[in-house]
Amino acid sequence: MGLVRKRSDSEEIHNHERNQDRDFDGLVHQLASSDPEIRTWAARDLAEFKDSAKPLSRQLENETNPNVREAILTSLAVVGGDEAVQALIRCLRSDDAALRNGAIEAMENLPDSVAPVMSKLLTDPDSDVRIFAIDILESLRHPDVEKWLINVLETENHVNVCAGAINLLGEIGSDRALDALEKVKDKFSNVNYIEFAVDVAVKRIKGT
Amino acid sequence: MPNNKRILIIDDAATVRMYHRSILETSGYQVDEAVNGLEAMEKILGNRPYDLYLVDINMPKLDGYGFLKELRTQNISQAPAIMISTEAQEKDRISAFESGANFYMVKPIDPDILTAYCSILLDYGDEK
Repeated sequence: MGLVRKRSDSEEIHNHERNQDRDFDGLVHQLASSDPEIRTWAARDLAEFKDSAKPLSRQLENETNPNVREAILTSLAVVGGDEAVQALIRCLRSDDAALRNGAIEAMENLPDSVAPVMSKLLTDPDSDVRIFAIDILESLRHPDVEKWLINVLETENHVNVCAGAINLLGEIGSDRALDALEKVKDKFSNVNYIEFAVDVAVKRIKGT
Repeated sequence: MPNNKRILIIDDAATVRMYHRSILETSGYQVDEAVNGLEAMEKILGNRPYDLYLVDINMPKLDGYGFLKELRTQNISQAPAIMISTEAQEKDRISAFESGANFYMVKPIDPDILTAYCSILLDYGDEK
């Protein structure tokens, strides 16, 4: 019995396409193809080039195909750097929830590139962007996460931004967060959810 | 008061799910939870459909809009849905209704309002 799987027609096509111009310029050219499969492969393969953030970001702004967008976001998360992060931040302002969530997931994987802009994101004039910044912190492996969240509780006046910070401190917070958690209750003394969420967070931190 | 109505809460924040659960169980509803649209879809397809859905918008894997669109266009469930979000702009409300939501609420949720909306939607469903 042969163990070699017969390749499908689509695999043959993909391999044919992938054999064409896999150098940087060729891939950038293919990123503008009218065929979404060619764009997807080009976006994936551009992850191997450190200078690809710019063409990937440019394509992302007009890309409507979800598979191509996903490939671009994945590659941007691999490439990293300021250009990639700025492109992902622009996605946070999109009306498209799927694009926003894709950008959040990509940024969670870029702690070194995202950390320098986190304070700016957490003070963005748009409260939705501040909420998304807290979503990013949920999985961002960085030693300053708790410090950023405590600062949010101490300085932020938007109830849903604070609610996000409280929820996350309930998961990753330590004794250092207890004082800020108790004080934020007073800031939103008329909001049932805040009292509930603070009580849950404090119980989890204290292990009671 | 015991109630045989089943409500599915779909939200990626554990504390939010706990909060909504406590409100709805106090009102006598049976409550189940999912952490994103994909898990919600699996629960719905693996059981009988629920009587009402509380759906967050921003969730990983499958967001609230995508979940509701799938639910409605694939005719998996036409049970009422309340979309719950941190976003209060007009375009977000319109997107919610276009996706198949029946109500739109902005967090943080007032317990009395949530209970009232659930009651209205479930009673309306019974009358139809």
